[in-house]
Amino acid sequence: MTASSRGSQAAASLIRIHPRVCSDCINHISRPTQRSYATEAASLKPLDGPQVTRPSNLPPVTSHPGPAEYITKSGILLSRPPLLTRPPTSFEKAFFFYQKRLNERLVMPFSRYFYFKKDTPADTDWKIKARERNWQPARELGGYSPYGPEAWNDELLVGDKLSETSTIMEALVKDGQVRAVEGKDGKAQEAREEEKGKVEKPLGRITEADKTNDQKRLDRKLNRTLYLCVKRENGGWGLPSGALEGRENLHQAAERVLVQTAGVNMNTWIVGHVPVGHHILQPYYVDGKLERPGERTFFMKGRIMAGQANLKGNLFGLSDFKWLTKQELEDHVRPKYFSAIRNMLAER
Amino acid sequence: MAKLPSATLRRAHLPSSPQQFTQCRHASLLRRPHRPYTFTQLVTLSDGSTYTQRTTSPQPIYRSTKDTRNHPLWQPSLDNLRNVEQDEAGRLRAFRNRFGRGWDLESTGEDAGSKEGKNAAAGSGADASKKTAAVGAGSDEEGSLMDLISGGAYTQSYQQTREASKGPKGGEGQGAKASAKDPAEDDSEKAKKKKK
Repeated sequence: MTASSRGSQAAASLIRIHPRVCSDCINHISRPTQRSYATEAASLKPLDGPQVTRPSNLPPVTSHPGPAEYITKSGILLSRPPLLTRPPTSFEKAFFFYQKRLNERLVMPFSRYFYFKKDTPADTDWKIKARERNWQPARELGGYSPYGPEAWNDELLVGDKLSETSTIMEALVKDGQVRAVEGKDGKAQEAREEEKGKVEKPLGRITEADKTNDQKRLDRKLNRTLYLCVKRENGGWGLPSGALEGRENLHQAAERVLVQTAGVNMNTWIVGHVPVGHHILQPYYVDGKLERPGERTFFMKGRIMAGQANLKGNLFGLSDFKWLTKQELEDHVRPKYFSAIRNMLAER
Repeated sequence: MAKLPSATLRRAHLPSSPQQFTQCRHASLLRRPHRPYTFTQLVTLSDGSTYTQRTTSPQPIYRSTKDTRNHPLWQPSLDNLRNVEQDEAGRLRAFRNRFGRGWDLESTGEDAGSKEGKNAAAGSGADASKKTAAVGAGSDEEGSLMDLISGGAYTQSYQQTREASKGPKGGEGQGAKASAKDPAEDDSEKAKKKKK
C-alpha cells in the first residue's frame, strides 16, 4: 500500500466522526486505491503487504503476443484564423454612436483654419461638404450640433439606421470625393461632375465564395475560424491524421502527415509541441480475437498562412477536403467524433 | 477701524515643532483636459481591407501604400513582393556598362549570383549551384573594387582575359555569367510586356 493511500485512510478515520462530511466521500477516501499503472510490476514481484486486487475490467496493458491493440496517430487541426472582426451587435453600435455624440459636447471645437488655408480648394471643399451636414465637422453623426438648442436631442429613435456600420462607411466614402478644384484665375471653385473623380467603396464582408458557398476556398467566412476537414474514400469526414513512424514526435509526425495529406503548396505552422485534443477509437474484437486495432489520435494545432490544400497523390486514401467552421464541422463528422474534438475548436 | 477676524485670529502653533507649516485649503481648480477634435477616419490597407479609427486628421479616407499586407517581412509567401530589380528601360544596364558594378548593393550582387547558379546548374544538385554562386560573388566583389580604382577598364580587360583563357572554370566565371544573364533578362522583360 502506498504512502498516499495510507494518509488518506488516516484522514478518513479522522473525518468519519465529522457530521458535515457525507458518507459517500468517506467511503471513497477510505477505500484501498486501485493501482492502475504499475499492475504489471506488482504481478512480477509481489510485495509483502496486503495483496492488491487487480481490477477485473482492465485488460493487461503490455507484453502480450500478437498485434498491438492501439495505434498512436498524430492528427492536425489546421485552422485559418478569422481575417475580419465580428460584426458589432446592435447594442455596441448604439453605444459607440451615443459616445461619439457625447464626445462632440466634450472636446475642443474643430479649428478649421489650422488645417485649411483660406480660399484654397481644400477650404472650399470643406465648406461645400460642411454645408450639407449642418456645418458640423463630424461626418457620420447626422448633423448633430453639440452646442445648439437641440443639443439635448442626442439619442437615436428606434429603427434609425444612422448607427449602422454601412451608413458610417457611406458617409465617409461620400465625403472622400473631391468637390472643389482650382479654377482658371487661381481661385477655388466647385468641381463639375467629371472632375469629381471616383471613390472606391470598401470591400464587403461577404466574398464570392460565400455567395456560391464554395467550401473549398479559404476566402470564405472571413470572420470565422476555418478548419481543414478531409473525407476518406468510402468513409466519413474527419480531421487529417496519420500513424507515427519510427521514433518521431507528435509534432514531427504532424508536419509529415500534413505534407503527405495536403501537399507542399501550403505555408503552415504547427503551434507548439503539445497536442490540443485527442480522440480514442476502441479496438474491435471478433470471438475474442483482435479484428481491428484501436486508434489513439492526438491532435496538434496548426495554422495556415498561405497556399491551398491539394489532395492529389495523398498517401491516406483521401478523396475530398473542405474548409469548415465549427458548426459546419458538426454536420459533417459523426457525433461521437465531434464530442471528442469540440472543445479544441474555437467558438468563432 | 474694526479688523477682520481673519487678521486678528491666528492659527495656534505647536511650540514643539521646529518647522513652520502653513496649511492652505484653496478649492483647487480641475482644468478640463485639452482634447483636440477627433474625426472618424476610414483606413484602407493596401490589400483593400478597411477599418475606422478616431484621428485628428480631417481626411475622411486614408489609403495606405505600404503596410504589413504588402511587405515581404509579414508576407513571406507572396512572390510578387520579392526584391526584383526592374530595369525595363535598360538604364541600369547602361550605367553598369559605363561605370561597372561597383555601385551595386552587396545583396543584389549575391542575388544575381545565386540566380545565375540556378540557371547554370539546372540539372545538378544544390551544392553545385551554391558553389558557383560563391565563386561568382567572390569574383564580382573583386571586380567591383578594381572598377572603383580604374574606372571600369578592369572589368573589360578581365573579361577579355577570361574569354581568351577559356579554362575549365569558364562556365562559372563572369564572362559566361554576363552572357547567360542577358537571355534571362530578356525573358523577364517579355513576360512583363505580355502582362501589360
